[in-house]
Amino acid sequence: MRSDRRKILGGIGAGALASTFPAPWVRDLRAQEASEIPVAIASPMTGVFAFAGIEGTDGANHFAQYFNERGGIAGRKLRLIVEDTGYQVPQAVAVFNRLVAEYKVPLFLGDSTGFQKTINEEVNRRGLLLAGASFASEIDDPKKYPLQYMPGPSYSAQVGMLLKHIAATKKGARIAFVHSDTEFGRDPIAKSEAYAKTLGLEQVEKIVTPPGSFDVSSEVLKLRRARPEFTIFHGYVMAPVPEFMKQMKEARVETQFMGTFYSSDLGILQKMGDVADGYLGVNAYNYVNQEGVSGPAMDFIKKANGGKYRTNSYLQPWTNLTLGTEAMRRCLESGKEMTGANLKAALNTIKDYDMGGVIGVPISIPGNSLGVGRIFRANLKAGKMDPVSDWIRAEA
Amino acid sequence: MRIGSAKQTYAADEAIFKTDVQRLWFGLLALALILFPFVSSDYWQLLACLIAVNVIAATGVMILTGFTGLVSLGHAAFMGVGAYTAAYLSNHLALPFWLSIPAGGFAAAAVGAVFGIPSLRVKGLYLALTTIAASFILQSIFFNWTAVTGGARGLTIEPASMFGHLLVTPGAIYWIAMPIAALSVWWARNLLRTRVGRAFIAIRDRDVSAELLGIDLLRYKLMSFALASFYAGMAGAVWVYLFRVITPESFRLIESIFFVAAIIVGGLGSVRGAIFGAVFMTLVPELLKIGASDLAPYWPDAVKLLSPVRTIVFGALIVGFLMFEPLGLNEIWLRIRQRFALWPFRT
Amino acid sequence: MSPALLDFVEFSLAGLCVGALYALTGIGFVVVYKATRIINFAIGEFMMIGAYFFFGLAAQASLPNWAAIILALIAAGTVGGFLERFIFRRLIGESAISVFMVTIGLASIMVGLVEIAWTADPRSLPTFLPDRPFFVPLGSAEAFLASKNGWSFIIVAAIMAAFITVFRFWRGGIALRATAADQQAAYSVGINVPGVFSFAWILGAITAAAAGILVGSISGISSAMGAIGLSLIVVVIVGGLDSLAGALVGGLMIGWLESMASLYIGGEYKQVATFVILLLVLVVKPYGLFGTHDIERL
Repeated sequence: MRSDRRKILGGIGAGALASTFPAPWVRDLRAQEASEIPVAIASPMTGVFAFAGIEGTDGANHFAQYFNERGGIAGRKLRLIVEDTGYQVPQAVAVFNRLVAEYKVPLFLGDSTGFQKTINEEVNRRGLLLAGASFASEIDDPKKYPLQYMPGPSYSAQVGMLLKHIAATKKGARIAFVHSDTEFGRDPIAKSEAYAKTLGLEQVEKIVTPPGSFDVSSEVLKLRRARPEFTIFHGYVMAPVPEFMKQMKEARVETQFMGTFYSSDLGILQKMGDVADGYLGVNAYNYVNQEGVSGPAMDFIKKANGGKYRTNSYLQPWTNLTLGTEAMRRCLESGKEMTGANLKAALNTIKDYDMGGVIGVPISIPGNSLGVGRIFRANLKAGKMDPVSDWIRAEA
Repeated sequence: MRIGSAKQTYAADEAIFKTDVQRLWFGLLALALILFPFVSSDYWQLLACLIAVNVIAATGVMILTGFTGLVSLGHAAFMGVGAYTAAYLSNHLALPFWLSIPAGGFAAAAVGAVFGIPSLRVKGLYLALTTIAASFILQSIFFNWTAVTGGARGLTIEPASMFGHLLVTPGAIYWIAMPIAALSVWWARNLLRTRVGRAFIAIRDRDVSAELLGIDLLRYKLMSFALASFYAGMAGAVWVYLFRVITPESFRLIESIFFVAAIIVGGLGSVRGAIFGAVFMTLVPELLKIGASDLAPYWPDAVKLLSPVRTIVFGALIVGFLMFEPLGLNEIWLRIRQRFALWPFRT
Repeated sequence: MSPALLDFVEFSLAGLCVGALYALTGIGFVVVYKATRIINFAIGEFMMIGAYFFFGLAAQASLPNWAAIILALIAAGTVGGFLERFIFRRLIGESAISVFMVTIGLASIMVGLVEIAWTADPRSLPTFLPDRPFFVPLGSAEAFLASKNGWSFIIVAAIMAAFITVFRFWRGGIALRATAADQQAAYSVGINVPGVFSFAWILGAITAAAAGILVGSISGISSAMGAIGLSLIVVVIVGGLDSLAGALVGGLMIGWLESMASLYIGGEYKQVATFVILLLVLVVKPYGLFGTHDIERL
């Protein structure tokens, strides 16, 4: 019995080790070729943000394919090294240290606001370019984060677009914010409250939900008393947004629901069910299944996925990589070395650049963020998102 | 190689090094640890620092759980107390790291002792749950006491500096983390040979009989909590110098579970077990990750599909060790050592 | 009725209904502890697999909802029974903390398996509860009660009634209580103690799965939803680990308290309010409001 147990345990151990043992050997065999440009991606493939990490990894891989098919940068091909972080900062830092040292990457894509803040000084010290999945308003500051950029408008810019839309729709409208009590949820709120005031909107309620709580009934009772005409969600992916919408509908609160990037994806809204019909979301990109959207990049995406819908988390690294590789191209063409500072300078020269259908207008990136977004209305019966505004340039 | 070690005094029986061969091996280990940063990459230095932090914290948990028999699932939160204290002191009083790290330890010890008070009234699993409650409460304080902890955004700190050099890289922090880890382990090992250590073990084996033997339960249980939390606080303070950013999400319940899992996998009831456990549990997920990414060139979806497997392996290791090797890695080590004890004379 | 009183009643109703869900999860936890003295840290993951089984059967295999619920509960019960038979029974006699850690390990394994089977995407459960809200008449006014809250309360009340019946009158239930009271004595009067253990695990798993399906229908499901179960450990600490009544009272109390905190101080203080109660309980009655305090004899 005893020896059996040891064998089993030995089996588990040996299995675990065997799966890792190829490491040193394989690494020597695939010594880096000069003709490649390595880019490292730390992506949350387990943990709470796994759904976004997995979509994002597919997006990144498809971009590499697209980019390499079109010749790369003067024949140099893009090579991605992807690793899981479990959405945990220490793991992401370990991935960063390993991949940056091993592959000397000029560009690194991170997985979270926490990581991008943590690693900022290290990025400055080592001199490489960093982008990621974060739209944190704090990172949208070239002074504090000189070598970072983000693939869309910051959260406060996103809420700002929604608020402007409200002000244009109805003067002095009654609005309510519903946000999670996390760093992500708190990010744009103070700024947005002030902005709403300058737009002459009346804020009638602010709901803060503790992370991980599933019950929203007492919050709905509050909203039922406040009767906002517009309700803006921020800091959630899915839960508890659908339950808010369902219960507010039950309570006959006539309100227009709105939300920011992560809860504005069509796939997520479809999962929320019928209540999400008519929801207004702000997105930084076109939707993959949107009509009349084309361009080399978008056409490739449609073909590569065979008509399968991809979320906006898929387009996020796509955009990061488009911008990053364009910066590399400009950097190399001007004969400069691909250091972080050179790359960031090259990135900032991107002006009126065509994103190949991923974004509907030519974009520029003068600071740290790609400040354009568009408001869409969920049309779930048709299975798509209808644009209700033009592309908006972020102020602030 | 060892050819018998007859002991003639009790002191000799309690000695840490029993033979010269042991001293030799230990010297080689120390040398390897000193040479390590000169021959390794940033990544391995970072892992070494993480291991050092985990060894410090796991040793603390070992004192509390492995020796005193009190289970704590609040250790990550105590680590957080140390980390926030060190960060706050470094930011506001510009305390150098060699003061703020112990300060973090003392702050955590004070908090730990307070949360150890229920251990006088509840035992075993109830105590475990109580410490979970402690961890929730502390977490909520980290999150809401914005003036000190920076709230949801957390704190950032300046790098530690030594002789005018900023310690920025993991390789530099190694020179803080590893010596502290070594000292912690050394100190814990010595503690066990003292009256206090023996009192802890007596409490673990049967608290009522320990009390009958004249051991003051109140004093020793709180002492154990304070000591363990001191270790956790030091670990947290080193951690904060390593990452230089701290948010409430840095020290979650899962980290506490990690430490208890580490000492179980390592082997309850020995300092060596804490080291083995911390090293093993830090390295296995990393190695599995490297393994998956090495497969990536041949199997593009490897990272994506194998990631959940890592979650499973973490669980399977805990379950597997508890079911099949309850004495942990330390036992395996002892078996191996036993086999080679008389080598090369007898195999 | 004055607006302030209406507020109080309406928020109390909402809180008690959520509390009923907390209580249900707590009971799944207490049943296992009572019989086997094992703290099932994987309670949240049992909720998760219950909800995923329901999702798989109803949304993917398109079974009718009632059939999917029954099958999901059976499947969850089978998992519970299987784990008891092949893991926990082998660990009888090991230290309590080891067994506790095994449940933690199992939680991690279950999360990984769910991610492999269903990916980590968050999903919505098919709706199986009517969506007409309740309006509770209160003199001249009416208190609004969201449909899911009302229905969860009714379902939990029904399950509770079933529990009480089982424990009072059915032989198996009495055997379980006997085992909880004194294992040795239970053995010696011929009670099949291992059978009781299996029964407790099956019952615990089914209860947790039922709670998981109800919670999942409110918040949606994901592989990370087990964290909810963890936060509900507060309920059993307050109520007492080995008391069904404690889980019930603790659950209702914490649900109500959260709602009151939300009404009078703000939603962000819900958790803080819970923790204050938790601290008070720990200081005053560390074995919970209804828990048994074992007296040790040498």
